[in-house]
Amino acid sequence: MTYPIPNLLPALPEIWVLGMACVILIVDLYAKPHRLVAYLLCQGTLVGAALLTLTGWSTGTETTFNNTFVHDRLSDLLKLTFYLIMFCVFAYSREYIRERGMYRAEYFVLGLFGLVGMMVMASANHLLTLYLGLELLSLCLYAMVAFQRDSSQATEAAMKYFVLGAVSSGMLLYGMSILYGLTGSLEIGVIKQTIAGAGSENVALTFGLVFIVVAIAFKFGIVPFHMWVPDVYHGAPTSVTVYVGTAPKVAAFALVMRLLVGGLEDLAVSWREMLVILSVLSMGLGNIVAIAQTNIKRMLAYSSVSHMGFFLLGVINATPNGYGSALFYVIVYAVMSLGAFGMVILLSRTGFEAERLDDFKGLNQRSPWYAMIMLLLMFSMAGVPPTVGFYAKLLVIQSVIQANMIWLAVIAVLFAVIGAYYYLRIVRLMYFEDAEDQSPIIAGTDMRVLLGINGLALLLIIPWVGVVIDLCGKAIQGLS
Amino acid sequence: MNFEQLLFYFFSTVLVAAAVMVITIRNPVKAALFLVLTFFTAACLWILLEAEFLAIALVLVYVGAVMVLFLFVVMMLDVNLVRLREGFAEYLPIGGIVAVLLVLEMAIILGPQRFGLGNFPEPAGHAADYSNTRELGRVLYTAYVYPFEIAAVILLVAIIAAIALALRRRKDSKYQDPRKQIRVEPAERLRIVKMPTEKRG
Amino acid sequence: MLGVDIKSIYLAIPLACLIGSIAAGVFGWKIGRRGAHTAAIGGVAVSFFLSLLVFSDVVIHGHSFNGRVYTWAVSGGIPLEIGFLIDPLTAVMMVVVTFVSLMVHIYTIGYMADDPGYKRFFSYTALFTFFMLVLVMSNNFLQLFFGWEGVGLVSYLLIGFWFQRESAIYASLKAFLVNRVGDFGFLLGMAVIYLSFQTLDYEAVFAIAPQVAQQNVQWIPGFDWNLLTLICILLFIGAMGKSAQVPLHVWLPDSMEGPTPISALIHAATMVTAGVFMVARMSPLFELSDTALSVVLVIGSITALFLGFVAIVQNDIKRVVAYSTISQLGYMMVANAVSAYAGGIFHLVTHAFFKALLFLAAGSVIIAMHHEQDMRHMGGLRRYMPVTYWTMVVGSLALCGIPPFAGFFSKDSIIEAVHASHIAFSGFAYFAVMTGVFVTALYTFRMLFMTFHGKPRMDEHTLHHVRESPFVVTFPLVMLAIPSVLAGAVLIKPMLFGDLFGTSLAVLPQHDVLAEMGNHYHGLGPFITHGLESLPFGMAVLGIIAAWLLYVRYPELPGVISERARLVYTLLLRKYFFDEVNDVVFAGGATKIGTFLWKIGDVKLIDGFAVNGSARVVGWFSSIVRYVQTGYVYHYAFAMIIGLFLLMTFFLHR
Repeated sequence: MTYPIPNLLPALPEIWVLGMACVILIVDLYAKPHRLVAYLLCQGTLVGAALLTLTGWSTGTETTFNNTFVHDRLSDLLKLTFYLIMFCVFAYSREYIRERGMYRAEYFVLGLFGLVGMMVMASANHLLTLYLGLELLSLCLYAMVAFQRDSSQATEAAMKYFVLGAVSSGMLLYGMSILYGLTGSLEIGVIKQTIAGAGSENVALTFGLVFIVVAIAFKFGIVPFHMWVPDVYHGAPTSVTVYVGTAPKVAAFALVMRLLVGGLEDLAVSWREMLVILSVLSMGLGNIVAIAQTNIKRMLAYSSVSHMGFFLLGVINATPNGYGSALFYVIVYAVMSLGAFGMVILLSRTGFEAERLDDFKGLNQRSPWYAMIMLLLMFSMAGVPPTVGFYAKLLVIQSVIQANMIWLAVIAVLFAVIGAYYYLRIVRLMYFEDAEDQSPIIAGTDMRVLLGINGLALLLIIPWVGVVIDLCGKAIQGLS
Repeated sequence: MNFEQLLFYFFSTVLVAAAVMVITIRNPVKAALFLVLTFFTAACLWILLEAEFLAIALVLVYVGAVMVLFLFVVMMLDVNLVRLREGFAEYLPIGGIVAVLLVLEMAIILGPQRFGLGNFPEPAGHAADYSNTRELGRVLYTAYVYPFEIAAVILLVAIIAAIALALRRRKDSKYQDPRKQIRVEPAERLRIVKMPTEKRG
Repeated sequence: MLGVDIKSIYLAIPLACLIGSIAAGVFGWKIGRRGAHTAAIGGVAVSFFLSLLVFSDVVIHGHSFNGRVYTWAVSGGIPLEIGFLIDPLTAVMMVVVTFVSLMVHIYTIGYMADDPGYKRFFSYTALFTFFMLVLVMSNNFLQLFFGWEGVGLVSYLLIGFWFQRESAIYASLKAFLVNRVGDFGFLLGMAVIYLSFQTLDYEAVFAIAPQVAQQNVQWIPGFDWNLLTLICILLFIGAMGKSAQVPLHVWLPDSMEGPTPISALIHAATMVTAGVFMVARMSPLFELSDTALSVVLVIGSITALFLGFVAIVQNDIKRVVAYSTISQLGYMMVANAVSAYAGGIFHLVTHAFFKALLFLAAGSVIIAMHHEQDMRHMGGLRRYMPVTYWTMVVGSLALCGIPPFAGFFSKDSIIEAVHASHIAFSGFAYFAVMTGVFVTALYTFRMLFMTFHGKPRMDEHTLHHVRESPFVVTFPLVMLAIPSVLAGAVLIKPMLFGDLFGTSLAVLPQHDVLAEMGNHYHGLGPFITHGLESLPFGMAVLGIIAAWLLYVRYPELPGVISERARLVYTLLLRKYFFDEVNDVVFAGGATKIGTFLWKIGDVKLIDGFAVNGSARVVGWFSSIVRYVQTGYVYHYAFAMIIGLFLLMTFFLHR
């Protein structure tokens, strides 16, 4: 029997990152005294991967590995976003983990393996790859959350994350197995063809769909599957929270696009309604409960819950336009969240976690520059024009209006206004309160530069916001 | 009802009963043993499905390795049964109701009218020399090479994570460094300390 | 033709100013005062020279450009574009804006030398120039609006530049609010345009406009409006705010609270002319609605005449110039209204030079007087400040319209155009602009005489220190004096009767008063001789003589007159009670409504119900969530199962 060697070119970035992760693991053994090596290699890997992805920038859709892997514009765009986010995540982490005795090559290696998992998800064209990518990512995240071994808080968070993640994985698998039972295939394209016309009348399909939606909702942290979010964000070392709270959300978007849109688009009538319910719950609960938080990591966790509710608004429209706005939203959210947790890391130092809201008091006196960065981040999260967060919200709400769900748009705006309260509270603390703590802010150059760019980007991207939106739209259009 | 079906129902009944026992029985060692039984009956069902390789693998890996390890852990850790049982009665009604309702719904939807035998053609049987193992291997290394590789990566991650999380060198543990032992100088072995002579008591 | 893409030159013109602004504002702490003013002036200078280049390209080589440079975003099917429309009208405006701006920037080095906000000031002025350029170069309404608002914003910042002063804050707020009223009209106009034409692009709108000239709309049941009239009047409301037309002029005199360079830059040469420019730019729309033109005419004439009267009784030197600006803006609007758009722009250009000159000269006086602005405490400065004096004389003569100074040509042609026009109310307008000439001469020379002639009325100490201003101050004065003399004579032929503007201004044949005048135009000499014989010149001379009599020959006379005509004097001194009416009716009414809403809405509904209530709801809700968010993993898992169960039940049993 002959079997052609699959075309490896489209998967080159994955292979590169995977290979480099293994190389770092080995190099680290022999380079103990110069541990910067692991960090630098890791960032180099990301840059290399970005170059590879850019070189192979896809113009159409091509599949390989017997249709389990797909390479299209969406996957490329998502991967680039991952690299960018991971680059910042590692840069923000470096000092933080060094101060807390977590600086081991495994930290970076696990991060890279998680990246591979996300990349696999972004390029998945098969239920198996999708699931395995998700598991790969999750496993790395569980381990990283528990990375601070002596912290009982972190261990507890990891435990919860692991158990609940396992439950959700079980649900996803169950939903997939039902799909397999009904369609006889695991390949997303084939599933789509098989159920075409079956529509929403098929109760068994809807049954499977519910499980899949629940699992996806869990990954996004959408009410009522959000319970892990505050505990994990809070319990994990902040440098890991940056990771958990950013790139995986973008990766979960791939889950939505590949599974719900790619495979189950004919069931859109059903899943749209489910998402409407989940979205309203998320926006409501996330925004209201965030107000009552005194810990900024928990506050940002609930804010993430509400943001994911907003993100769903884009998906609800179930048109390429809507998916485009959702993609834009989730990328913008990831960047904002990156900066916000970055600020928490920045203010923390050895033996001190700046995780209370009060730790932001009088930041303007301590450093006007970082106060401004935080101000931009908060404004953008609240959706104040002219920051990019405003456009993100505008686009998703617009797409809801296009779907003729004015009431939903009104609810969204209402919750956005409620949400603005707790973001602006931070601004008030920074500018109108006296600092409790006058210690200078120390950070590595890489972190300071990146964090500055991270914050300013939310404002300075505005002239090119059309280009980014366009890019998102094109990535979605390339799907069908 | 032919013999095969009889076997199927027998194993299924044992499987479900054993699974229920796993979560209800008080003694964790017994619970683990019931889990072994569950796996075993599942393996039997797979044999009925002509998935011999998988069945054997299940017995070897889960029953043979994982569960034994599991039993060790359960026996070594002195699990406090009373604490585990706390709140069981309290949560039982609501938990039970939800569970029963879920099962009912599933039963209705996944019942015979959708997944009954009549809805699916009977799979073609294989020739006597058909090797399940070879077929699996062939598919794994060709059509499913990509998922297979990812699975391998997951295992690698599991190893790395386990080592990173569990392996730690205790600061107070005593160990020998052969290199140092060999290179040692006489002066290092013996140190002469001058002390004032003590007075005779 | 230039070796570089012309689009990048267009783009560079506003961006140079923006870069200068950012350099001075954001990096000011790093580059110091010198660096800040070098950056800002450098940016504006680059803009100026590039504008000259573009001007020669457009006017001499006849290259126009209209197109999109960049699509910024597509929102709901509306492309938000950045595009330029570069035609002669734009080119003229660009040169004027950048030239005056450059002069003002140089002047600022001297004027603001001791101010702690030096760098901030340069940053603002350069930013202002940027917005103004965006405004004039735009090829669509949205970008116009962006520049429009940006200009308003920066002027707010600049008027309130000395934010320690109560009056400056008040003035900046007033300017902001009054402009908001105008902007609201403008925004509505834009909305109507988009609703009716489905585009915001000038070219497209102008192309469709003639087809809908007769179309009526009925948005409020029972009221039929001509679509174009509605659009034009709404747009004109915007222009009224920016160009300080009655009754939205109240902000301009108060804006003199800002530093003098700002008064010269914003409130003489650039921002206030935005309205005039906009009406001229929209000439294809305004031409199609006689009603709208008449509205513009009436408002413009009232502004031109009555605000001139107010200038006569002002004692603050800058306020005199400010009221004179309002009055001159009225002239420009009148010119637009009688379809002599070229005349309006012509006056805009000459006025920009001599009014900037007057402001800067007034500023020079103020520096010498140690920031004393009351003319009653001046006098006899002629001997101490010769350069300032002579440049101010030039400016005054130009403002009064004495040949051969620049103002003569532009003003005289406006009056002629009004005379030749036949649209409704042109008779009234003719009377207004004619009388206005006398008034203009009177207040201008009153100011000149009170400041520079007669006996010094200041205290000994100040008199001792009076001396001519430094070179950076006098240099722009001289530079501005030159065009104040020459611009009129040079530009009248190409601007009014030539084809400098080409197709950028649209005039219907039946409205074309300039063409009619062109038939009688036989060159500069005859125009001047004709001017010397005509009524306006007489009026101007009369005004100057009156001023001389009242303020030099018999200085006690004004007091007597004001005693006798108490009522009129008070009316003028209180500026027709516009501020009082605004305060009582609008501000007062608004305050009353506000108080009412505050008591009922805020205290009871929002504070009582919404805020405290929602705080309570949040508290209650959080306590529930906290109850659920126990931290026990099996609770979490159970919540997931419940969620799954509910979703399943809901979707499977519908």
